[in-house]
Amino acid sequence: MVTDKASDVAKRITDELAACGVKLVASLPDNWLMGVIKAVDQDKRFVHVPVNREESAIGLCSGAYMGAMGSAAVMGASGFMTVIYAITKINYTYEIPLFLMLTLRGAGGDHHKHHISNGLYLRPVLDAISMPYQIIDDPADLGLISRSYHHTRTFSRPMVVLFTRDLLRGQGGHG
Amino acid sequence: MKYLDAFHTLAKRRRDEIVVTSAGNSGQAWWAATRDTEATFYLDASMSLSTMFSSGLALARPELKIWAFMGDGAFCMNPGTLMVERQMNLPNLTHILVSNRVYGATSNAGLPNYKDNDYAAIARSMGLERVFEFGDLETLDRDFPSVIGGNAAGHTFVVLEVEPFSEAEQKLEQPPFDGPELKFRFGRHIERRSDCDIFGYRL
Repeated sequence: MVTDKASDVAKRITDELAACGVKLVASLPDNWLMGVIKAVDQDKRFVHVPVNREESAIGLCSGAYMGAMGSAAVMGASGFMTVIYAITKINYTYEIPLFLMLTLRGAGGDHHKHHISNGLYLRPVLDAISMPYQIIDDPADLGLISRSYHHTRTFSRPMVVLFTRDLLRGQGGHG
Repeated sequence: MKYLDAFHTLAKRRRDEIVVTSAGNSGQAWWAATRDTEATFYLDASMSLSTMFSSGLALARPELKIWAFMGDGAFCMNPGTLMVERQMNLPNLTHILVSNRVYGATSNAGLPNYKDNDYAAIARSMGLERVFEFGDLETLDRDFPSVIGGNAAGHTFVVLEVEPFSEAEQKLEQPPFDGPELKFRFGRHIERRSDCDIFGYRL
């Protein structure tokens, strides 16, 4: 369920993306992200492409970069765990920037036992492939989306923003 | 139809299309046929992502026509890409599926169900309308220009039925680029062709 506060957060995320010049958003769903994905889908500033495998989002965003189009890949933590080869092969080999927005599944507050593997291994996997990441838990920190996006362009590398459950439910920070 | 002969025919029929190759054999064959150092992105071993990469590029640059090669080994790993391609339905993208019925990049290792895989039927079942198949060189040479010519609406899917590389062909040179060099060669070409700014600064 997307509450008013959650929809405010989703709107602010889309505003951050648009301010970065993002046009293409490729997504696969995660329940926590549905407010964001819905907001993107209804926002004419973006071309929203729902995909059926997370790797496809990596390919789409990488190709869009080579056509000078800003992009973001949106997916859950589980989906991200399936795309390590695609990222290391395409984005590391060719030094193609990539911006991803993920859920911080398996962290405190996640009610789903089956995300224990993401809680244990998501951040270690990011560290293992030397991919910088930024956790955002407080709506006051949503400006870090732009900073992270521009970091990918400056250093020609991928970077991940990890959203917490509380943030996406409109309960982050002092909410 | 010989793999290399088919690629030489496509190269002869190419006008100003941008090309993205897939793993192994298609990159080798296109390099052998064209020695293109600017307008081709040799996307090595992406395991089925050449057409997604191309779709992102085609979306970003609608004024350019894009050919995306993909082997049937890669296609079988992720046939769902066709659903995304159909949904995007980009008129400037031609997906060229090179069907040699093996994993050509890995010494022609066996491909599951290779005898019965009907790639054109798979594409049609996903709603694609512009689906073409070529199994001999004469027909390819004669009809391919009409497939890529004009301003047809929607995404185009072409199946080339070819023989696997011979042992000698497997030793063809790989495109001799490191990743960043290829990115900049290709990207600068796109910038010149489209007057866009990919890298944040122009040389």
